[in-house]
Amino acid sequence: MSWLGERLGKREPTMMRGAPSWAATLGWALVFLLALEAVTGAALAAFYSPSTTDAWASVAYIQDQAALGWLIRGLHFHGGGAIAIVAGAHLLQTALFGAYKKPRELTWWVGILLLVLVLAWAITGYVLRWDQAGYWANKVEVGIAAGTPGVGSVIRALAIGGNDYGNLTLTRFYALHIAVLPALVFGLVGFHLWLAKKHGNTPRTSTKETQPRFPGQTIRDAIVMAAVFAALLAYVVSQHGADLAGPADPSQAFDARPLWYFRWLFLLRELAGSAEKLVAMAAPAVVGGLLVALPLIDRAPDRTIGKRLPYVGIAAGLMALIAALTLVSVVSDNKPEHQKALAEADKLATIARDNAVLYGVPATGALGVYDAAPFAKAKRLFEQRCKDCHDGPKRKGPLIVQGHGNRAWLRGMISTPSGDAYWGHTKLAKTEGAMKPMDALKPEELDAVVEWLWAESGASDIDATKRKAGEAVFDGACSDCHSREEGVSGNAPALATLGSRAYYLSYISNPKSALHMGKNSEMPRFDAELSLADRDELAAYLTTLSK
Amino acid sequence: MADQPDRRGFLKVATCALGGGLGLVVAAPVLRFVIDPATQTTVTTPSEPIDLGPAERFHGDQPTRVEIVAPMIKDGWTSARDVVLGAAWIQQKGDKLVAFSAVCPHLGCGVGYDGAQFQCPCHDSKFARADGAAQSGPSKRGLDPLDLKVVDGRVKLTWASFKLDQAERELA
Repeated sequence: MSWLGERLGKREPTMMRGAPSWAATLGWALVFLLALEAVTGAALAAFYSPSTTDAWASVAYIQDQAALGWLIRGLHFHGGGAIAIVAGAHLLQTALFGAYKKPRELTWWVGILLLVLVLAWAITGYVLRWDQAGYWANKVEVGIAAGTPGVGSVIRALAIGGNDYGNLTLTRFYALHIAVLPALVFGLVGFHLWLAKKHGNTPRTSTKETQPRFPGQTIRDAIVMAAVFAALLAYVVSQHGADLAGPADPSQAFDARPLWYFRWLFLLRELAGSAEKLVAMAAPAVVGGLLVALPLIDRAPDRTIGKRLPYVGIAAGLMALIAALTLVSVVSDNKPEHQKALAEADKLATIARDNAVLYGVPATGALGVYDAAPFAKAKRLFEQRCKDCHDGPKRKGPLIVQGHGNRAWLRGMISTPSGDAYWGHTKLAKTEGAMKPMDALKPEELDAVVEWLWAESGASDIDATKRKAGEAVFDGACSDCHSREEGVSGNAPALATLGSRAYYLSYISNPKSALHMGKNSEMPRFDAELSLADRDELAAYLTTLSK
Repeated sequence: MADQPDRRGFLKVATCALGGGLGLVVAAPVLRFVIDPATQTTVTTPSEPIDLGPAERFHGDQPTRVEIVAPMIKDGWTSARDVVLGAAWIQQKGDKLVAFSAVCPHLGCGVGYDGAQFQCPCHDSKFARADGAAQSGPSKRGLDPLDLKVVDGRVKLTWASFKLDQAERELA
């Protein structure tokens, strides 16, 4: 006897009753899928960070950056869908064969409980990604649970861990997903298997004959496992893992849909109209109740399908109904409004994920990822707050586009101050107070004063001689109206530091200052509108236009 | 040896009592611990009005959607600045501005505007543009109005969350 044999004891071949069967392989296929979830889940847990600031970022990292992260995540996510399908088939097969009959009622009931737990397990997993899809689906699901009469608000507070969605929501769902539910499910699977082994496969023709599981049954089990895995793998590869929307944004609407295996309930609620609350509670209860009741109402020992048509009908009918509702609900997503919303959400997801890869997700929160690109926020602010007046058809002020503030721009400004691209659109341009074109300047004088102005922006490519000459031209031709000393105002805008970041910051903050346009300014002050950081970023962005 | 059954009975009770007691001693504090957040205000959002800029921003014939950004929130063990709480729809009504929370009173999705009325993408509830009243779909009440004041030309909005999926409007 070998060393191990002495310690483990002699292995008796595992026996089974009846002939090896393909139908009996589905249970082991489920065990395989659960093991796959455990392995991929443990691997994902080594990357995942359950907090409102990090959750999406860590999932995006898994999906888009870690080697084969998309594959592991895809197997984990779509493995859940595979479990729903194979569990449905397992349940249907068990019901058709009358395998819930004495003495296997307990096996059947534990199986139903497992199905419920596995579905709940999926819900706890979907929110963890903290993207728009998982976040909003969870909000709706918790909202439905919160509608339970009497205890609804307690359920909500317990589920989300407090008064609102936050860090504790994620840590709670995470604990349920990776500790509590796995312990319950794997414990019950052990019990289910123990019961199944104790009572053996249900023989279709009564037999007391037994034979070893190996190799007849085990090879069938292995073939089905491999087939299930091959199908799952093919699907995961075709999808490049699982989808990931942009980070959860409480202000951004999203067409929330539950995971596909809950779509039948989603559609039932929709069809129920004002009775949706009743249906939401009643539909799972009726389905569950009927399944639980099967062994109690179908008690005759005969397992022949032909003699149990009403009961077979209940089980097969329920499954067919659920499948049909699921299909109808998924197909109904083809509505153009929904497709349009999805396309917009996709666009945001692409920006967020590309930025996450290129620049990383700011530690202050995943929504900051949209502004992670250089000057992204400044560009957005410009778009929202500046563009109407400084670019486009309804412009009221000077054009601000690429090239603003460079030598050519300065030259144009001095030559045609009321030109279309300069102050032409302002009220001031139509008054006596408008600056006149400096036609009197000789070309080399214009060159020189442009060089001096350009140097004020802090530019380094300066011809010092020209600049010096420009100073003299300025003092002769411009200084009646414009000051060139920092902090000193004249009758027209002061030009010291023109085009520098500090200049733009000061101008954006208060264009009505005597240093700038004074009361001639049609532009509003932004010192109360935008934070200092935002104004400074805008200022820094404006300096890039002249490069 | 006549007392043997008594002794066995006693040991059985004692073993069960010890085992059960141990279980309770562990379970009680664990349960108290894990339900604690449900009894706390874990996410603290500002109750004072949030500045949304000058009133002109919202003048016009279409409702404007604004992000509600809390200057500071406390979320469990962290605090953070400039956190997006949700969104509101603001529109002119006569010479006044009125605001609706963009949180659907049905199950909390973000309500959009389709050019004629407010509508929720999740379960297709529709709300009248003028007063936010529920028009069709599963929502049991109209959009929730938010307290809005214009102080020195600037819009001050007080953010609030309401209990979902019930006819009465009740603060959450």
